[in-house]
Amino acid sequence: MSARAIWRPTAWEAMLVVLIFAAAAWSATLSPYYLQIDQLLYSTRNFVIPGLLAFGLMVVVTTGEIDISVASTLAVASVALSKFAAVGAPIAVAALLAVALAATLGALNGFFVARLGLPSLAVTLGTMGAYRGLAFIIGGGMGYTSFNDPYLYVGTELWFGVVPASLILFAVVAAGVGFLMHKTTFGRRCFAVGMNKTAAWISGVNVDRLKITAYALAGVLAGVAGLVWIGQYGSARGDNADGMILFVVTAVVLGGVDINGGRGTVLGVVLALLLLGTLRNGMGLANIAGPTQTVVFGALLLIGVLRPFVAGLAQRWRTPPSDPFSRRDDTEQTSESNSITNNITRRSAL
Amino acid sequence: MKIHTKSLAALSFGVALGLLASASADAKDSGFKLMMTPKWTGFPYFEAAGKGGKAAADELGDTFVYAGADHADVSLQVETLENFIAQKPDGILLAAIDLNAVAPVLTKARKSGIVVTTFDADAATQARDIFVNQMSYEQAAKTMLDCALLDAPDGGEIAFVAASPTSPNHMAHIRIMTELTKTNPKYEKFKVVDTQFAGDDDAKSYDVAVNLMQAHPNLKVIISSSAVSAPAAARAIVATGKAGKVFATGFALPSAIKSYLDDGSEKAFALWNPWELGYVATYATHLILAGKLKVKPGETFTAGKAGTYTVGKDGEIVYGKPMIFTKDTVDKAGF
Amino acid sequence: MSAFEGKQTRVGVGEFALRMRVTGVLAFIVLLGAVFAMLSPRFLNPQNLAIIASNAAILAIVAAAQAVVLLTRNLDVSVGSIMGFAAYLTADYAARHHGAGVAIIGLAMVLGTLLGVVNGLIVAYAAVSPLIATLGTMSLYRGATYLYAHGRDVTSNELPHWMLSAVDFRIVGLPALPLLSALVVVLIALFLRRFAFGRQIYAVGSNPEAAVYYGLRVKRVTLFAYAFSGLLCGFAGLLYAARVGTVTVVLASGWELSSLAAAVIGGVSVAGGSGTVIGAALGALILASIDNGLVLLSVQEFWRMFIQGTAIVAAVAVDTLIGAQIRASLVSRRFGGVRA
Repeated sequence: MSARAIWRPTAWEAMLVVLIFAAAAWSATLSPYYLQIDQLLYSTRNFVIPGLLAFGLMVVVTTGEIDISVASTLAVASVALSKFAAVGAPIAVAALLAVALAATLGALNGFFVARLGLPSLAVTLGTMGAYRGLAFIIGGGMGYTSFNDPYLYVGTELWFGVVPASLILFAVVAAGVGFLMHKTTFGRRCFAVGMNKTAAWISGVNVDRLKITAYALAGVLAGVAGLVWIGQYGSARGDNADGMILFVVTAVVLGGVDINGGRGTVLGVVLALLLLGTLRNGMGLANIAGPTQTVVFGALLLIGVLRPFVAGLAQRWRTPPSDPFSRRDDTEQTSESNSITNNITRRSAL
Repeated sequence: MKIHTKSLAALSFGVALGLLASASADAKDSGFKLMMTPKWTGFPYFEAAGKGGKAAADELGDTFVYAGADHADVSLQVETLENFIAQKPDGILLAAIDLNAVAPVLTKARKSGIVVTTFDADAATQARDIFVNQMSYEQAAKTMLDCALLDAPDGGEIAFVAASPTSPNHMAHIRIMTELTKTNPKYEKFKVVDTQFAGDDDAKSYDVAVNLMQAHPNLKVIISSSAVSAPAAARAIVATGKAGKVFATGFALPSAIKSYLDDGSEKAFALWNPWELGYVATYATHLILAGKLKVKPGETFTAGKAGTYTVGKDGEIVYGKPMIFTKDTVDKAGF
Repeated sequence: MSAFEGKQTRVGVGEFALRMRVTGVLAFIVLLGAVFAMLSPRFLNPQNLAIIASNAAILAIVAAAQAVVLLTRNLDVSVGSIMGFAAYLTADYAARHHGAGVAIIGLAMVLGTLLGVVNGLIVAYAAVSPLIATLGTMSLYRGATYLYAHGRDVTSNELPHWMLSAVDFRIVGLPALPLLSALVVVLIALFLRRFAFGRQIYAVGSNPEAAVYYGLRVKRVTLFAYAFSGLLCGFAGLLYAARVGTVTVVLASGWELSSLAAAVIGGVSVAGGSGTVIGAALGALILASIDNGLVLLSVQEFWRMFIQGTAIVAAVAVDTLIGAQIRASLVSRRFGGVRA
C-alpha cells in the first residue's frame, strides 16, 4: 500500500461497485417502491450514523488497533447534548462541547492502548460498557425529547426538499477523512504504523501520539454521529445506538480495510456502506423478514471475503504451481492469497 | 316545455347520481393496506398479535403485512417504519420500542394521511392516532398484585423485575404497584424491598431472581412486568429449592409457565390475549379509515367477534381483558 | 550464562510465569471479594457463594471455549449463535420425541461441533480474518435458528424432565452445575497442558511462523480449536436451556462479548499463545461476583454497567502490566540482566 500518484480503484472496490449495482437491480425487482429519487435519498439517512462511526473505526483500524466503544461514545454525546439543550444553550456551543467530550473519551481509549500498552479489543470492550453506563448515568431513566429546531437541524432538514442534510454532512465527512487518510502525512503515518509499528517508530513517528489522535478522531466522529442521532430521532437516551457496533464493523471489513491495519481506503468503506444500505433498503421495502435479512448479510460478508479464496482455488485448478511457496499474482491482494506464511502471519486474533 | 323540464330533471338526477357515486368511491370501506411492526419479530407474543391482526384484516377484506427486525433496536424500527411509509399504506400499527424516537417518522406518516395505531407499547401521544392499550397501567398493576395475593395470601416482601428503567409501561406498573401497597388496604400486607432490571433477557432474569432471593432472605414474591422474566424467575425458584417459600408472578405467556402451575410451585400468572389485542387494533384502524369511527372520547365501536370498546382520553382504547392463569385455566388459553 | 543453561532454567521460569498470570486473576478475585464482603455481610455467605458459582458456571465453559480459540491467535464471535442453534434444535427435537434420552446431549455437541468446523474451515483453510468469518457465521447461525423456529419458543413443559432436574441437582447441598463446569474446565486445562496436541495450540498462537517451520500443522490445529469450541458451546447451550427453562431463538445472544470479556479478564491474551482456560473460568466468576455484589448492595442499574466496564479495563491493565513484568524478568534472567 503506498500513496499512489495516480489513483486507481482496487479490485475489491471494483467488486463492491458491481455488487452495489446488482443489489440495486435486485431491490428494484423486489419492490416497485424502490426506484424513486426521494425514497432513495431519504433512505440514506439510515446509514449516515453508522457511516460516521465506521469512518472513525477505520482510522483506528488502520493503525492496527480496534475500537468497539464508538457506539457508546455516541450515546454519551447525545445525552450530553440533551443536558445542554435543557439549559437552553445555543446549538453551536452545545455541539462543540459534546464533540469535545466524545473526543476526550476517545483519547482515553487511546491512552489505555498506546501509553499503557493494553490490547485494544479488550480495553474497548471494557470502555464500551463503561461509557454506556456513563451515558445512562448522565441521561437518567427517561429519554430527553424537548429539543428545539436548531438541535434537530442536521437530522431532519431536507435540502431542496429531497436531499437530507445528514447525507450532505456524510459526504463532507467522507471527503474530509478520505483526504486526511490518503493525502496527508498523518494518514500516511497511520498506514505505516499499522503495517509495521516498529519500523514506523524507528523512522521517527511518535506512535503513541498518533494512536491517541486516531482514537480521539474516532471519538469526534462519534460525537458528530450523536448530533445526527438527536436530529433523526429527536430523543436522547442512554441506550442510543446500542448494538450498532456490529453493523459498523461489518461495514469497515466489507470495505476492504485490513483488520490488522496498514491497508484500506475510505472509498471502500463508503462503497460498503452503500452496498449494505441498498440491500437493507431493498429488502426492507419488500418486507423481507428480519431474520432472513440477517442471513443474507452474514452470507454476503462471507462470500465477500471468500471470493479471493475461491479465485485462488480456481487458479490453482488451472495451473498448479511448481513451487508451493510461490507468491500469488501481483494483482491479487496479498493478504487474501493462500500462500502458507501469509495465512498465519496475523498480528492478532482480529 | 314540459318535455324539456322532464329531460332536465332526468339529467340533473343523473348528474346527482354520478356525483354521489364518485363521492362514495372516495369513502371506500374495504381493501385497505395495513402494515404492522412489533418491537421485534420471533417473539411468540408479538407473533400472536400479528396473526390476530391478519385474521382481522382477512375478515374485513384488507391486506395485511407483518414485518420487522429480529431484535429490539430503535434505529431498525424507525427504518422499518420508513420503509412502510414508502409503500404507501393506509394504516400502520406498531408496538414502539422508544416512544419518542419513533415520533418523527410517525408524524411524517400521519402527514401523508396514514392512520397510525400503537398497541402494547405507546408512542408519543401527538404522533399517533390511537393507542390500543392491553389494559390501563392501574389495571395492570392491580392484576399483578392480585396474582401475588393468590400466591401469598398473607403478604410479605415483594420485589419487582422490569426490562429497563427506560421502559415506560414497566416503570409505570412499578410506580403504581408501590403506591397501591401503601394506599390500598387490600395490598397493604405487601412491602416493596427492591427493583431490578433484566433487559428482557432470560438468563439475566434468572440470575437476577437468584441474586434477589439471596439479597432479601424474607422475600416472598418476585413480580415481573416482562413476559421474558416471569418464567425465568419461576425456574430460578424451583432450581434453588425455594418453591413454596418464594413465588414468582407477573405477566407471562401461558405456555411458558404452564409447567410451574402444573407442579404447584406457582399459583397464578396473568396476561391478556395478544392475538385479540392485534385483532382489535386492526379493527379499530380499519374503522377509522372507513370513516366509521371518530377518535373522540366516548365513541364506541365493535371489533368483530371481540366485543365493544370505547375511545378514551387522548385516543387511548383500553382493551382491558386481563387473563389470570391458574392451574385449572392455563390449558384453556390456547397459546 | 551460556545459552544451554539458559534453556534449562527457562522451562522452570515458563511454568512460573504461567502460574503468575493466574495468580494475578486470583488476586483480583480476592480483592473484589474483600471489598464486597466489607460492604455487605451477606456476600461471603456460603449459600451466596454457591449462587455466584452457579451463575458463573455456564459462562465459564463458554469462556473456556473462547479461550481455546484465542490461544491460537483467533477469536470466535459466533459462540452465542452456536449455543442458540444447538440448544434450540436439540430442545425442539426433545419436545417432539417424548422420552428422548440422555443421547440428546450428544446431539447438541454434534451440532455445535459441526458449526465450529465450518468456522474453522473458513478461518484456517480459506485464510479469512477470524473476526470477519465469525461475524458472518454469527449472523448465519442465528438467522438459521430463527427460520427454523417459525416464531415459536420451546417452553419448559416441553423439555424432558430429567434435563431440568439434572441442572438443579445438588450434591451434599452444593449445586452440581458449578462442580460440573469446574470439572469440564479442569479437563480442558489438563488436555492443553499434558497432551502434545494441546501444547501445539499454545505454540501455534504464540508464533505461527515458527510453528510452521517446526512442522506443526497450523491449519489443522486451528480447525481443531474451532471445532472444540463449537462442541463446548453446544454443550453449554443445552445447559443454558435446561437452566432457564424456556428456549427462545435469541438464546445467549450477547454471550460472544461476555465470553470475550471473561477470557480477557482471566488473562487470556488476544494476541494468542498466552493465558489459561482456568483463568478464563475465573474471569467468568469475577463477572458473576460483580453482578451479585451489586445486587446485594442495591446499586442502581446504571452504575452496574459502568462498574462492569471499568472492572474489565482494570483487570486487563493489571494483567498486562504483570505480564510485562514477567517478560522483563524472563529476558533479564536469560541474558544475565541485559534487556534485549
